[in-house]
Amino acid sequence: MPFISQIQRQSDYHRFPPSVPIVIDNGASYFRIGWAGESEPRIIFRNIVQRPRHKTTGETVTIVGDHDTALLKYFDCTRSGPRSAFDADVVFQFEIMEYILDFAFDRLGADGSEINHPVLITECPCNPVQSRSKMAELLFETYGVPSVAFGIAAAFTYKYNQKRGICDRDGLVICSGFSTSHVIPFVNGEPVYEACCRTNVGGYHVTDYLKQLLSLKYPQHMSRLTWEKVEDLKMEHCYIAQDYALEVGLFQKGTKEAEEKNRCWQLSWTPAPVELPPSEEEIAKKAALRERQGQRLREMAEAKRSSKINELENELNGLEFLLQQLQHVVEEDIASFLSTTGYVSKQEIESAIVKTTQSLRKAKGEQIENEEKADTPDAEKYNLINVDDSMLTPEQFKEKKRQLFLKTTSDGRHRARQKRMDEESQREKQNKLEEAKRLENPEAYLEQLRAKYTDLLDKIEQKKRLKTNGGNTNGNGVSGGVGRGERLSAAQKERMRLLTTAAFDRGKGEDTFGIRDEDWQLYKLMSKDNDDDDEKQDEDETELSRISSRLRDIDPTFIPKTDVGSSVSEAPRPRPLTKEDFQIILGVERFRCPEILFNPNIIGIDQAGLDEMAGISIRRLPSKVKDTEEGMTNSILITGGSCLYPGMSERLESGIRMIRPCGTSIRINKASDPILDAWRGAAAYAAAVQFSQQTIKKMDYYEKGEDWLRKYQFRYT
Amino acid sequence: MEQEVIDAELVLPVHLSFKKIQMYEKFPKGQSRGRHWKHLKQIIQAENYQNYPADEPNYVNIESPPSMHPNKKICDITGYEAPYHDPRTKLRYANTEVFKQIRSLPNEYVQSYLALRNAAVVLR
Repeated sequence: MPFISQIQRQSDYHRFPPSVPIVIDNGASYFRIGWAGESEPRIIFRNIVQRPRHKTTGETVTIVGDHDTALLKYFDCTRSGPRSAFDADVVFQFEIMEYILDFAFDRLGADGSEINHPVLITECPCNPVQSRSKMAELLFETYGVPSVAFGIAAAFTYKYNQKRGICDRDGLVICSGFSTSHVIPFVNGEPVYEACCRTNVGGYHVTDYLKQLLSLKYPQHMSRLTWEKVEDLKMEHCYIAQDYALEVGLFQKGTKEAEEKNRCWQLSWTPAPVELPPSEEEIAKKAALRERQGQRLREMAEAKRSSKINELENELNGLEFLLQQLQHVVEEDIASFLSTTGYVSKQEIESAIVKTTQSLRKAKGEQIENEEKADTPDAEKYNLINVDDSMLTPEQFKEKKRQLFLKTTSDGRHRARQKRMDEESQREKQNKLEEAKRLENPEAYLEQLRAKYTDLLDKIEQKKRLKTNGGNTNGNGVSGGVGRGERLSAAQKERMRLLTTAAFDRGKGEDTFGIRDEDWQLYKLMSKDNDDDDEKQDEDETELSRISSRLRDIDPTFIPKTDVGSSVSEAPRPRPLTKEDFQIILGVERFRCPEILFNPNIIGIDQAGLDEMAGISIRRLPSKVKDTEEGMTNSILITGGSCLYPGMSERLESGIRMIRPCGTSIRINKASDPILDAWRGAAAYAAAVQFSQQTIKKMDYYEKGEDWLRKYQFRYT
Repeated sequence: MEQEVIDAELVLPVHLSFKKIQMYEKFPKGQSRGRHWKHLKQIIQAENYQNYPADEPNYVNIESPPSMHPNKKICDITGYEAPYHDPRTKLRYANTEVFKQIRSLPNEYVQSYLALRNAAVVLR
């Protein structure tokens, strides 16, 4: 990273007498502070503040500037993003400004009871008076600064370069900063504010645009694309195309030049470990394990079964013994005898015996002979059915009803079984037929099958489409809103009809829907409409799946279509991730992003770009200085962090040539150090003798008030 | 506080000798801090620039006017020249492959691409 923060605590604060001013370049990206008369600022750091909470102690601390992210792991940074005191290029958050000034003065080495030096601080052109006065208030009251001066960074740069001979007394400075870009003309060495021009596009917007483009293109790597990383990418790879249309044409045609211009960022990636096919012994081991498990299960089942059989046999023996005993007992004592065992009558014991024998037989695995039951001669069982009603006693009547019921159920069961067997035999016959057909003419059979498959597929698709109203092939289509003239499917028509009849005002003035319970059956009707469709569809779908499974078996080239109802966007087949998946390629983005400096319309900001701004600024020159207009373009200085893109000067030159009269001489110079020159210029000014006349003293500030502050302007000559 | 954090002097100290009014005096604990800072729009409004002569430069005066050049239409996805635009999603596209891609994009992506151009549908 070319910009490195310097935040070493300075130790020579006391070397400087109170007359030496402190010079601050308060930029939206970086904050630079140092002593007047020197050539480098002492402290440089990023102009942001974070207030995270410490994880263990829980206190909220303040961290100024950008720091090594490794140390931030002790803090919970989820709720505290980096915050800036700026909104566009105006300071509005003075609490954050105070933290920043605290940090800066602290690192400069200040340790007296107040800051005893005059301060020169930079601001944006035509800074609103409120911001200016709050800044002055902060410096005077909280830090005890004796006097303050405000200047414009771009102007300092221009004057500094003018002294170096890079530009003339009359000229134009184009300063492209972090959040805004300015064009300021200079006449006789003083900036002409009436002709100043500002567009709210800067380096921040370029980085943000690049970040969003890359995130949308590579959503899987979104976590790697942090703002700082994208800023690095931008500084390293972005350039400005001479003519956007031409450059883009190269890429669109796919020429070799375009290929070379692509830069590729390879993310770290580990190839997935290749899974070796399980070796012989592994297979054998797994098989043995499964065998053993199966064996264990079988043994357990055996044990359970045998214990159950034993239980049942015991029970049976007991019951038979009881029966035998019963035979020996006298009639009268039966009741008392049986009361101890829990059975009330002999029949009960007998039925119990029958039941246990049956379950025993089942447990032993013998056939459940329900055939036997059916075989028990129908005549006996249903002996009462044919007997006429009038000839029966009430008990026999009940008996008859029961037999009737039994007969009908068993008949029904018979019939069902018969039908099943018929169906199965039929299916068998059909399968045999198909097999025969296949064997004799495989090609034709395959064709037939495929044709049937496609037909069914179409039918289902169509039905689905009808149902959803021709709707969402695209995830962002709005699905069937009624009342917009869209055609309704049959189901929806029905639903609408039902709803309108229900809501129909029967003229009594009151809505009586819902008073009767039957009203709510309406909703059942509505949903039933859908159900009918579903049933029909199920048949088709089962047929479809049957055919597709057949095809899969016999046709090697058949690829089953994935579920038709799902979204059209095909999920990429899961395949092992390759090296290419982890590459981020910057092709068109390299010059598409800085293009917004010249064409803010690309991101929707409706203002002029840099080249047009130069023309506007010259046009705005007040009439009394109009004669210098032709010479303006002779000395154009570009400065600011965002002017470091390769190709910036050439593009500006061609752009300005387009709007100025033919033949004007255009000379564009880059500032000697676009980033630090502002501070250096300011330091040079602060060291001059006249500086003390330019400052606002504390007394003046308190006495003269805001209006005077508004009129205050720094003199640059 | 861990030793290395102290060594790195990461954290701003609470009391600074050169300040007349310390931060903790200004914002006692428990008070809401800084919600009352006016944003730029409010600052500009409060400035009442209408009351001053119009040819004096002020923050609003010096802003650039809209561009005179015709808008360059570039494709939202690839960045190529885009003569066409999709009526359903309102995105600009360059050729048929890009069009296929656009039609298969889920809604969030469409809105994000539009937001890049400040043309997204904002529901407030």
